Amino acid sequence: MIELKGISKTYNPGTVTEMCLFHDFDLTVKDGEFVSVVGSNGSGKTSLLNIICGSIPVDKGELLLDGKNIGKLPEFQRYRRIGRVYQDPAAGTCPHMTILENMSLADNKGKPFNLTRGVNRERKAFYQEQLKTVGLGLEDKMDALVGTLSGGQRQAVALIMTTLTPVDFLILDEHTAALDPHTADIIMEITDKVVKEKGLTAIMVTHNLRYAVEYGSRLLMMDKGQIVLDKAGEDKQKIATEDLLDIFNRISIECGN
Amino acid sequence: MLFFATTIDGLQMGLCFAILALGVYISYSILDFPDLSVDGVFPLGGVCCTILMLKLGMPPVPAIMLSFLFGFLAGIVTGILHVKFRISKLLCGIIVMTAMLSVTLALTQLLTRNGMTTTIFSFRSEQLESIFSGEFVQLLGNGNRDYMILLIELIVVLAVKVLIDLFFKTKLGYMLRATGDNEKLVVSLGKDVGNYKILGLALANGFVAVSGAVYANLYSSYDNDSGSGKVVLALASVIIGMAVFSRLRHIKDTTAVIFGAIIYSLCLNYLVLVDSEGIYLKLLNAVMFALILIFNDKIVSFMAKRADRRSGVAQQ
Repeated sequence: MIELKGISKTYNPGTVTEMCLFHDFDLTVKDGEFVSVVGSNGSGKTSLLNIICGSIPVDKGELLLDGKNIGKLPEFQRYRRIGRVYQDPAAGTCPHMTILENMSLADNKGKPFNLTRGVNRERKAFYQEQLKTVGLGLEDKMDALVGTLSGGQRQAVALIMTTLTPVDFLILDEHTAALDPHTADIIMEITDKVVKEKGLTAIMVTHNLRYAVEYGSRLLMMDKGQIVLDKAGEDKQKIATEDLLDIFNRISIECGN
Repeated sequence: MLFFATTIDGLQMGLCFAILALGVYISYSILDFPDLSVDGVFPLGGVCCTILMLKLGMPPVPAIMLSFLFGFLAGIVTGILHVKFRISKLLCGIIVMTAMLSVTLALTQLLTRNGMTTTIFSFRSEQLESIFSGEFVQLLGNGNRDYMILLIELIVVLAVKVLIDLFFKTKLGYMLRATGDNEKLVVSLGKDVGNYKILGLALANGFVAVSGAVYANLYSSYDNDSGSGKVVLALASVIIGMAVFSRLRHIKDTTAVIFGAIIYSLCLNYLVLVDSEGIYLKLLNAVMFALILIFNDKIVSFMAKRADRRSGVAQQ
């Protein structure tokens, strides 16, 4: 369970561009929830993820992971329990290393990186099995450099890598936004499958309202650093993409967009 | 005859600078960190090795190995300046390089009577027992001295190459590669990326110091000015090696870098034949490096085409 309590964040304080994004922001995500977050640009979706992961500091407030305050931990220490897939397919993999080497790196998360062999050959079959679930033929390209793969393939590898070791929390940061519609659908399906199979707790930020409606167990809409819509369980099942678009447009018009 | 002597000399220099280039390969290619401290660490390795041999009477091989440690420490300083104090990559290198100019000068004083150097910046001693002279060479047989030097250098270079190759196949080596390739991934794996940068720079500078130590052995002398231009030389070697050879399959980057260093050193030596007075030497160096960079793509595509054609023939 992750809890944000009274989070405040102001960008560029004391300057003319000062902007208060979050003021006493609260959010609780229960174990096993798959939360989709939608909202227009600048509504604070990505900032929310960055605050959870520690990529940006907060001015005030507490961040609890399973009751433990992780608000003071540096970014890299939080990732020991959090997995994150970025919007940029290049961000989650090493382009100049092979798929096998990338998988080996991910497989070793949480263990010491010492002077033993980088690739454990015995694990290769397991990696291939994991990659096979994606259905992109990646299991036959184990020795290909990841930099030579397409964006969709790289994102699939990144997703598999992130969930290879047990994480408490999965962060999906517009992870389908840079892909073509068809590949985005595939990645979204894989994401859903992985989250369900491994019983992960996840937050997904997306601009695709259809994904937000179709996938996940809870839906949040954000605007100007506040949650304007929060539906879970049966309430969420009733929402259709059109309804969501209506609310979305209404907010945008109020903002003068 | 002059041409032959120049070639031999170029090969000797090339193999010595191959160690330097392998070090810079770690910082420049693996870590994506153009480390300018090389100009200061190269003579540091030389002077430390000379002190260990002349003042402490250490045999050449352990002295050269120990000089790795001093380069390693200098690399840690560069790394900490960049990682902990967020100074830009180029400036960290410049700071350490400048500091080393004094450190090496102070260390040079240890070598001389009454704290005086024989010249302002350099020290030369004929009594230096290097890995290229005396008993050590005789162990390998009594051949032509020039060839013996090449043989010993080759052993040292191959040892360094194998060590580096093995290291980059370990988990720690993978992490260093990931650090240069995609820092975000290292953070995602729950590790402090700064530590890996510091370690990589330390290793790189360790090998730079070893190169300086071998250089002092090669010419039985230590020159406090020997570091000048080593950054350019090392970068040129790495870039030439990678451009010309790494597109060919089955050639490892480290092998390519060694060939790059040999090619560049040979070219430098042939330039001396063109400009015997040495006035335009550095200018010619610069022009040559620029030309290689400009025609780099053409060389690569030419080599790739040839390789394709050859494999095409093989398939038919």
